[in-house]
This record gives sequence, C-alpha cells and structure tokens, in this order.
Amino acid sequence: MTALAPTPASRRRVRRGRAVPWLMLGPAIVLFAVFMAAPIAYTLVLSFQRSVVTGLGLGSGSRSTVFAGLDNYVAALGDPDFLASAGRVGLYGLVLVPTMLGLALLFALLLDSRRTRLRAFSRITIFLPYAVPAVISSLLWGFLYLPAVSPFYDVADALGIRLPEVLSGDIVILAVANIALWGGVGFNMIIMYTSLRSIPSDIYEAATLDGASETQIALRIKIPIILPSLIMTAIFSMIATLQVFAEPTTLKPLSNSISSVFTPLMKVYRDAFTRNDVYSASATSIVIAVVTFLLSFVFLRVVQRRAFGGEG
Amino acid sequence: MRTPFRVGVGATIAATALVLAGCSGGPGDSGPVELTYWGWAPNIEKVVDVWNAEHPDIQVTFVKTDAGDPAVTKLLTAIKAGNGAPDIMQAEYQKIPTLVASDAVLDLADTIDSGLEGKFSDGVWSAVTLGSDAVYAIPQDSGPMMFYYREDIFDQLGLQVPTTWDEYAEVARALHAADPSKYLGTFSSADAGQFAGLTQQAGASWWSIDGNSWGVDIDSAAAQKVAGFWGGLVEEGVIDNQPQYTPEWNAALADGSQVGWVSAVWAPGVLSGNAPETAGKWRMAPLPQWDSSAPATGNWGGSATAVTSQSTHKAEAVEFMTWLNTDPEAVGQLVSVSGLYPADVVDSAEALSKPFDFFSNQPDFYETAAEIAGTVSPFTYGPNVNVAYSAFNDEFGKAAEAKSKQAFIDALAAMQKITLDDLVTTGFATK
Amino acid sequence: MAIAIDRGPVSGRRDRASVVSTAILLLGALYCLLPLAWVLVASTKDGGELFTTNTFVPSGSLWDNIVELGSYRGGLFWRWMLNTALYAGVGAALSTVVSGLAGFALARYEFRGKGAVFTVLLAGVLVPGVILAIPQYFLLAQIGLTNTYWSVLLPQIISPYGIYLARIYTAASVPVDVIEAARTDGAGDFRIFWRIAVPMMSPGLVTIFLFQFVGIWNNFMLPYIMLGSDTLYPITVGLSGLLNQGSTVPALYSLVITGALLSIVPLVVLFLVLQRFWRVDLSAGAVKA
Repeated sequence: MTALAPTPASRRRVRRGRAVPWLMLGPAIVLFAVFMAAPIAYTLVLSFQRSVVTGLGLGSGSRSTVFAGLDNYVAALGDPDFLASAGRVGLYGLVLVPTMLGLALLFALLLDSRRTRLRAFSRITIFLPYAVPAVISSLLWGFLYLPAVSPFYDVADALGIRLPEVLSGDIVILAVANIALWGGVGFNMIIMYTSLRSIPSDIYEAATLDGASETQIALRIKIPIILPSLIMTAIFSMIATLQVFAEPTTLKPLSNSISSVFTPLMKVYRDAFTRNDVYSASATSIVIAVVTFLLSFVFLRVVQRRAFGGEG
Repeated sequence: MRTPFRVGVGATIAATALVLAGCSGGPGDSGPVELTYWGWAPNIEKVVDVWNAEHPDIQVTFVKTDAGDPAVTKLLTAIKAGNGAPDIMQAEYQKIPTLVASDAVLDLADTIDSGLEGKFSDGVWSAVTLGSDAVYAIPQDSGPMMFYYREDIFDQLGLQVPTTWDEYAEVARALHAADPSKYLGTFSSADAGQFAGLTQQAGASWWSIDGNSWGVDIDSAAAQKVAGFWGGLVEEGVIDNQPQYTPEWNAALADGSQVGWVSAVWAPGVLSGNAPETAGKWRMAPLPQWDSSAPATGNWGGSATAVTSQSTHKAEAVEFMTWLNTDPEAVGQLVSVSGLYPADVVDSAEALSKPFDFFSNQPDFYETAAEIAGTVSPFTYGPNVNVAYSAFNDEFGKAAEAKSKQAFIDALAAMQKITLDDLVTTGFATK
Repeated sequence: MAIAIDRGPVSGRRDRASVVSTAILLLGALYCLLPLAWVLVASTKDGGELFTTNTFVPSGSLWDNIVELGSYRGGLFWRWMLNTALYAGVGAALSTVVSGLAGFALARYEFRGKGAVFTVLLAGVLVPGVILAIPQYFLLAQIGLTNTYWSVLLPQIISPYGIYLARIYTAASVPVDVIEAARTDGAGDFRIFWRIAVPMMSPGLVTIFLFQFVGIWNNFMLPYIMLGSDTLYPITVGLSGLLNQGSTVPALYSLVITGALLSIVPLVVLFLVLQRFWRVDLSAGAVKA
C-alpha cells in the first residue's frame, strides 16, 4: 500500500466520521464554555455596569444597577493606586523572573554535570517547595521574617549583626519576591533539567574532543538546545508574576507596608470583596487579563519559531 | 499502568457520586424547622447544642465562618446570587448599616418581644435600630474598652496606673526610658475598630444621619486629637508601631516587652491564650480619660444576631435568637463557654458574678467592667465601614511606618476623603 | 585506537567531583529546606513555647499537637485532608481524561476549526484563576450548586495547560502508523484511544494528572469563594481560616503550624514515590527535533 515514499503524518486525512474529533473534544469544549468563556463574558458584562443608591440607602430597593459605559475602565486606568500597583508588579517581575530562571538554569546545569555529587538529594530537596501552597509558604516565611520569632534574627544578634526588618518599608517587596522564588525555582529547575537529560550525549562528544570545558559546553551547546523550555518557563513565570496575590495577602497582617492594593489582583479582590463593588473589580480584571495576554503574545512573537518548533 | 488507571478513575467517580449524593441535604419535608446560623464566636456551637437538645421542633445548625469581614462578604455574595445565605447571621455592630444597605437582613420589629429593648443599654440598642423604628438585629455581646497593664512590671519600676491620657504619655516615656526594650503599647494599623473606639471615647462619631443624608466626619477635632496623640508618642519612640495579633506581638505580650494593652472587655481570653505564664500579673483599669470629670469609653467589637433576607423562618429564628441572647441559661453559657461579655445587662448579672483564673488578682473584674460599660459614648456607623477601615489600614500603615505625628494627622484626612468620595460615587445622599 | 586512548582521560576528568558545583546545589537545597525544617521544629512546640523558646531547638509536643489538631472540633482537620484528597484526586483524574481525549483529538485528527479551537483553549491559560472565581460563583449560584463538592470539582476539570501537554505527548508518543494499522483492522476511534493511545501516552498522562493534582491541592481562591460550610473546606482554606481565628485565639497558632506540616507531607510522599513519572521534558516542546 505504501510503495511510494510515505506521506508526512500531518497530511494524512482521517476519513472517518467527521464528528469523532468533536466528540472527543466535547467535554473540554463544554467545560471551557461553562467555566471559562461564560465567566469571562459575565465579567465583561459586569464591567460595563455600576450600582447606584438613592437617599440613605437603607430601605429595600434603594439600590439599582445601571449601564456605565466605559466609566469603570477610565476609572481603573486612571486610578493612582492601580497604576502604582502595576508599576510595582512590573519591577517585581523584572527582578524575580530572571533571578528565578537564572538560578533554576544554574541548578539544572549543575545537576546535569556528572562531576556534581549528591545530585538526587539536591534535586528532590530543591523541588520540594513546589508541594507547598502559597498560603502556607507565606505563613512559614512570615514567621521567619518577624524579628521576635525568627531564627535569622537570633543568629544575627548572637553574631552582633543587625539585620534590616524585611517587613518594613520598600524592601517588603523583596520579602514577597523571596517567597515566590522559593516556591518556583525547583519547578522550573526540573523542567530545564529534564530537557537537558533528553539531549543525546554524543552531541557533547565532538565538543569535548575539541577540548571544550564543561562551562563552554553548557553555554554554547546545552543552553541553545533547551531554549524552547527556557522560553516556556519564562512565559509561565511572567504570567504567574503578574497575578501575584496570595503571598502579599498572607503577609499583609504582619506588615505596615503592604497596602490593600499592593498588587493589581489585590486591588481586584479589595474592590470585589471589601468595597462590594464587583463592577470596578470586573473592569480591572479585564484590564489585567488583556495586559497579560498582550505581554505574552508579544514575547512569543519575538521568539516564536524557537518556542514551538517540532510539534507533531 | 493502563488498566489500574481506568479502574481507578471509574472507582473514584462512583465513590464521589455516592459521597455527593449523601452530602446534598435531604428535601425539606414536614418535621422540625431547620435553621442555619453563620458565626465565629468561640465555642458557640456548644450553646447551640443546648438549644437543640431542648427544642426538637426547631433545630439550628451552626456553621463556623471566618471571623469578621470575610463572613460578611460571603453573606453579601450569597444575597446577591439569590441563594446560599443562612437564616441567622452573626453581625458585628459596625457592619449592620452595610447589611441593611445591601438588603441582607430583615426588620424584626414586628416579631420581637416588646420588653426586649429594656434589656440593653441605649448605645447598644441604637446600633441595631440605626435610630429608626426598625430592629435589624438582637444584640449579643459588646466590647467596652478598658486599659490592661502588667501590675508587676509597674510595681517593679515604680509606675502609677495612668488615669488621664497625659499621664499615659508620661508613663510611656518613663517606662521606655527605664527599659528601652519595653513599650507601654503599640499603635496598630491593622485594628481600625480599636482606633474608632478610641476616637469614640473622645467624642467623635465617624458617620451621622441627618434626615435623609449621611454625614462623614472622620477627621473631626476629637479624632485629630486622638490621632495626633498617638502619632506623637510613636514619633518619640515610646510607643511601638507594630500591628497587633501577629506572632511578633504575641511574643511581646508573653515576654513582657508589651507592658500594657488598650483593649476591651474580652481581652482576658486573648491574654490567657497568648501569654499563659503571665496569669495573675495583669490588672484592668478604666481607659485613661481626656476629661476626668466626664468619664467615657469607646467600644471595640461585639456583635448582634440578625435574620437574613433569604430566610423563610423569621419567627423561629427570632425565637432562637431571643433565647440565645437573653435567656439566663444561654447567657451564662455565652460567658463561660464563649468568653463573651453579654450585651443583655439584666440577664447576665448572675453569670458575671464569677471572675476567672487569669485575673485571680482582680476578683471585682466584672463589677469594674459593668461600671465602665455604662460610660460608652454614642457612635454611628455608616454604610461603607469596610471602605473606611480599609483606608485606615493603608493610610495609618504608612503613617506608623513613617513614625511622624504629622503623617498620622494626614492619614486621618486621607481616610475622610476616601470614605466621603466612596459614598458620593456610589450615590448615597451626603450632607 | 586513538579514540579508545582518548576516552580514558576524558571520562576520568569528567567524573572528578567538583566541590563548587556540589556546594552550590547544597546551598540551594538548604535554602529550600529551611522553612520546612522550621515548621517541623515549630510543630514540636506547644502554644506557650512557640513564642518564647529559641527557634531551632525542638521540644517534645509533636504528638500532643497532632492529637489536639485532630480533635479540634471533632476531627475537622482530617475531614479537610479527606476533602482535599477528594478534590485533588477526583478532579485531577477527570481532568486527565478530558485533557487526554482533547489532546488526542487535536494531535491526531485534522478538521476544520482545529486551529481556532486550540488557540481559544490555550488563551484560557492566560486568564488568572482569581478573577474567574467570582463569576463562576454567580453562575453556579443560579443552579444552587454553591457550597457543595461539585462547586470546587467542576471548575477545575478544564485545564488548558493539560490539553496543551496532552497534545504534545500524543504527538511525541503515539505514531500515526499504529493508529492507521488499528483502523485498518477495523477498530473504532474511541477503542483506539483507550486501548492503544492511552497506554502509549501513560507517562504523559501521569504527568498531567500530577500537575493538576498539585494545582488543585494548592488552590485557595476557588474553594474559598465557593464554600461556606467549613466541613467542605480543603486544607488551604481551612488552615487559612484557623490562622485568621488564631490571631484572636492565639492557642490556635500551634494548631495551624502543625496543620501546615501535616498538609505538606502527603504531597512530598507523592512526589518521592512517583518521581520517575515526571516526564516534564516533553512539556518543553520537542528538544528531539
């Protein structure tokens, strides 16, 4: 039947019932429609409304919902709190993502080297923080940050060093970043490490024969080959960074320097739950989602071919 | 891998279906009236159990929710969604206008006993009527504010308990000078209710109702006096600036670096939980006064019980709530089991005659508390308390961090602006 | 001959232990272990000791704390653990099935609209879960499903990332020839999926399952919004609530800490036991281009 050269897999048509793939996709599509598309649509609708009250507002029926056009969006984009939180999160991401990925890459490369000892122990240990929910890791680090109960301050006092209070002032953002770093570096490391493990070792043979050192091999060969996984981890880290919420919220009661609008998602939460204003919250959510999407899209465009090469 | 996987999936789906079928509530049929009660007061479920045992025809299920704001948020979300709200809700006094404004609670005036009003002080009763003929909740407990201090440390350092705020400042300075690791107290940017109570003592009321409009007066002269007082002490460094209710603060109470606490009548529960080894070393006194000739105090905390607008059993709910908050047996349980200070002064007299172990050095604790409770100044809460409190957190967080008296005054002005703007934007009529 | 001689010293040089590399990794491991060691030690202290004793000196109350935690309100903590296992186990299992089917369809079938479907599904990855939770709540409230197990299970079955992974795994591990051969033997498509594709994709499916399991296990926002009765809470919401109460009832702090320790244990064990199934390399796209 295939006397001629075989046709590439992607060109072979399936001549079975056309409905089959749709049936297989069915559950996913239905669930997506109900639990993702519909809520997004609902959020969109809410973002164009607002609630008005008449008089004292204490009787029943004194509240009503009216169409508000783009008011919520204008208010959100012009809100100094929101802009400050966006700027803060942008800087936070610029510091956190390269550091986390850089460390993850370093650890992955070290794990891939046969000259490193205790690899299995280090690999498992560094991966462990992935098992800890953000709320709990923030709680644990919260204890480690508070001078009165933290071992770091005990040790520093014993050595006569004065550690800064990480929960005060501008460095509190670093305290938050540290928790995210702690939780994320292992996961990213494993992604990069398994990519490295899939590289056939004969690729290195030639380079080693030429006298290349391990560092040179790492820089010139390994990193370029695993670039796709680096890009994917960068994108997912960026997205997660823009959505930071759990860590600052858990640390907030411990610090004077974390406001209720410290990050954009905290502002959404405050609007929706503290101010009971789902409408502003919806508009801000849409803005955040659009910005996230644009950033990811632009980033991917720039590195497009390298990220999605070789897919079946 | 494949077969066990498939079997596993099938089994878990089947098991889930069974579990979920069992967990969805049975259909309402004739039989006892079932009420749900959302609250968070410690151990209240035990008091509810007493009711359930004695009243087989009205069964109450207590559901413990997160304390304070999250519970109100959950309730309002459920109200908005059209279902999911409980019958009975614990409602802190400062949240009642918010609940009423969101149509979340029913007016009970036509269902309660006519004699109910007489059991509560005027201040507490006005908090559940909002000055109108409607009754939106039945008061449960209250939190008159008083001052707690480490008697042993005061004796050791030769300090006298302050009776005016000027004296308080002096004691704070003397204490900190004698031992720089100790503070007479801390200014907490996390506890808006405490600050509100302190301004209440000075005569402030952050909201007011004038006919059909709301007034907002957060940065009144009285409030500015209080803010400036604390800001000055923080700036001098004799009062700490750390938030309360953190592991750090717990440790400070336990090791004696926090020597005093401006708190309310429910403080013994917190102190005994945090610093059990300091039992018998604390003493309670009235708050320092601004004007010794007219003793006053504020209120921090305390809740009432309300019936939500989604309830279809108003009469039964009111019957339960009346029992819970005014029946002598129930009130006695509230005191001994939940550690509350009941708002019903008439029926709680007997329960409050026994002091507790942590204050073994002060057997007349409750007598003193009752005197203090009679001096609570009036205060009106508005429909956007959450906004004001959240603004307090943010603005006074910055001010406490800056340790500057002017920053404290500025923070108050910022709170005023944010709160008033929010009311105006939402459409409330404002003066 | 020359090669054989060269290989000797090369492999010898490669295997000489590097102190620097090992030290760097161990520092990383220490950093990652630190809070976990802290919570282990802190769990051994009772309420009074927690705030008064030196931090890394353990005490002997671990068992007492566990017992106290277990008896808190009649075993509520164990109920939370069971709930979490239910949400994560069943949720991840259902999610794996849905993602596997969808990924298989996308990888091995050609049909009109396929690109659009895939792009739309992927766009779902960009939507923060936090902002979905509120409208999901309203939608489920319309059918009265809030505050039930379903309210936490259903929204977490759809996983755009899982579908993306499944598509890649299918493409990498299920050759078209095998499918074609089965088809010419007369097998139906779904039979082909269950009997042929699934076994070949199984390492990938296990990875998808584990990803989703961890994600659901660690999720806080969705159950927090959906659930009102604390008997339905997963551990994240339960412990957070305990923590909030702990600020006013300080004795609860040591329960929270012990609870945090116990909540980490199952996942850690799961990782250690299943670590050989983490085929994360395939998620990075084709390295073997």
